[in-house]
Amino acid sequence: MTLSEKMLKIDRRIIFLMIGLCTLLPLLYPVGLPIKISAEVRGVYDHIESLPEGSVFFLSIDFDPASKPELYPQAIALLRHAFRKNLRVITLTLWVSGTGMADQIVTNVANEMGKEYGEDYAFLGWSPGGQAVIINMGQDLYSAFPSDYSGKPTKSLPVLEGVRNLKDVTYMVSLGAGRPGVEEWYVFGKDKYKFEMGGGCTGVMAPGLYPLLRSGQINGLIGGLRGAAEYESLIGQKGKAVAGMDAQSATHVAIIVLVIMCNLVYFSQRRTSRAQGQLG
Amino acid sequence: MDATIFGAWVATGLTLLIFSFLYKDTPLFKFAEHLYVGVSIGYTIVKTYDTVILHLIIKPIVENGEFALLIPVAIGMLMLTRYVPKAAWMSRYAFAFIVGMGSGLAIPRTISSFILKQVEDTVRPLLSMAGPDGLTFSMNLLNPASNLNAIIILLGVSSVLFYFFFSIEHSGAGKAVARTGIMFLMISFGAGFGYTVMARMSLLIGRLTDLIEFSDASYGRPTIWLALLTIGALVFISRRTKPASPEV
Repeated sequence: MTLSEKMLKIDRRIIFLMIGLCTLLPLLYPVGLPIKISAEVRGVYDHIESLPEGSVFFLSIDFDPASKPELYPQAIALLRHAFRKNLRVITLTLWVSGTGMADQIVTNVANEMGKEYGEDYAFLGWSPGGQAVIINMGQDLYSAFPSDYSGKPTKSLPVLEGVRNLKDVTYMVSLGAGRPGVEEWYVFGKDKYKFEMGGGCTGVMAPGLYPLLRSGQINGLIGGLRGAAEYESLIGQKGKAVAGMDAQSATHVAIIVLVIMCNLVYFSQRRTSRAQGQLG
Repeated sequence: MDATIFGAWVATGLTLLIFSFLYKDTPLFKFAEHLYVGVSIGYTIVKTYDTVILHLIIKPIVENGEFALLIPVAIGMLMLTRYVPKAAWMSRYAFAFIVGMGSGLAIPRTISSFILKQVEDTVRPLLSMAGPDGLTFSMNLLNPASNLNAIIILLGVSSVLFYFFFSIEHSGAGKAVARTGIMFLMISFGAGFGYTVMARMSLLIGRLTDLIEFSDASYGRPTIWLALLTIGALVFISRRTKPASPEV
């Protein structure tokens, strides 16, 4: 058996082990590789930075624990930034399976930043309907969410004073792991009710959202763990995303090496079999 | 036991059971997989019941006398007639309502957002007017708004559309255009695969970060103890399931 044949029949568990080590070692012994800020992430940061105190910032946490590693750090970084700017933060989720986690994220960051529920922020919870909820909120926020997550009537919350519908929102960010998510918020929200909007998404979804970014339909995009790390660097509070960047780079190098090796082995085998065919 | 510590032990244990699939498919993985599906469905049912049935239907009707809500409830109940063959025809009214309303909402908005806006962005000026200097052409590939990128996008969209136009045989000049379309598609697939790899690795990083955190003494080192237990269980299972002896 030639070396190339041995390589093609390698036990897949050896590859798993290699990728596992490439991820684990940089997490245990971080190198601190530099993080370059992309224009799309800066778009969201700059817009929030430009908002005056007391502006209404809407954050839709449209993911569940399955996408937590990528979107949880994004939500934490965005909330820290919004609270630091003293914006009025209104949060909700369109994903029923993410309700408890969304409440935990908002409550933890608000407590950390010393914010008071009802005065500085609110969590509206989940309401069924996906895109219909967005349209309903565009017409009347209190009809879509008559009460918040804890059951308090939303009309009694001081943080929502002067907010009747989505037209009164200054800036909105949807952190989406699928549908409903960024696209639905654009199609049924921003395009119809004309508020400024940014997005955050998992790495898998990012290529599909770039056309919206380029055409100016959204003004910024935070893509995957990498985007979260960039945002953490921008606000100067490095967290889990920045800590994971060394591991991300190491695994990417490992996968590039594997792809090159597989191609070399494949072409070498093809050449050998062709040569044998000519001889035969 | 503190809820955080208990949660750390449960999360660590289930993560290791799911990771055991990387070695081989065992009852340990099956247990964690079924538990995940069951808990997800259970959580969704409870949250939906609490939010929809209790807070959006029963409470407003009983406490505020909002009897108009009985109309959507009745339409929704028609869906259940699917389970009674003789009355199944009634569910068509509910479906008709949903399909009609869904299409009415989605079609105009989708055309506006994904077709008109994207066409507008695809057909950008190939040359720019720049004050007294007249027409200019920017070559910066890194600037999404540059003229060179406008040409690349126009070429990409046209050639990919042509590739999917099957009424003309792709030969001669048409073959060159279709090949260009394939190249653009390949670049797009490559970018998609790259992002997918990044996303999957992020999920692995997330789990390993938690496992490292839970190896701390303040949690009772669940990562170490449960890893040893999982490895022991895998060894035990491997020894019990001996390969079948060849028939004589």
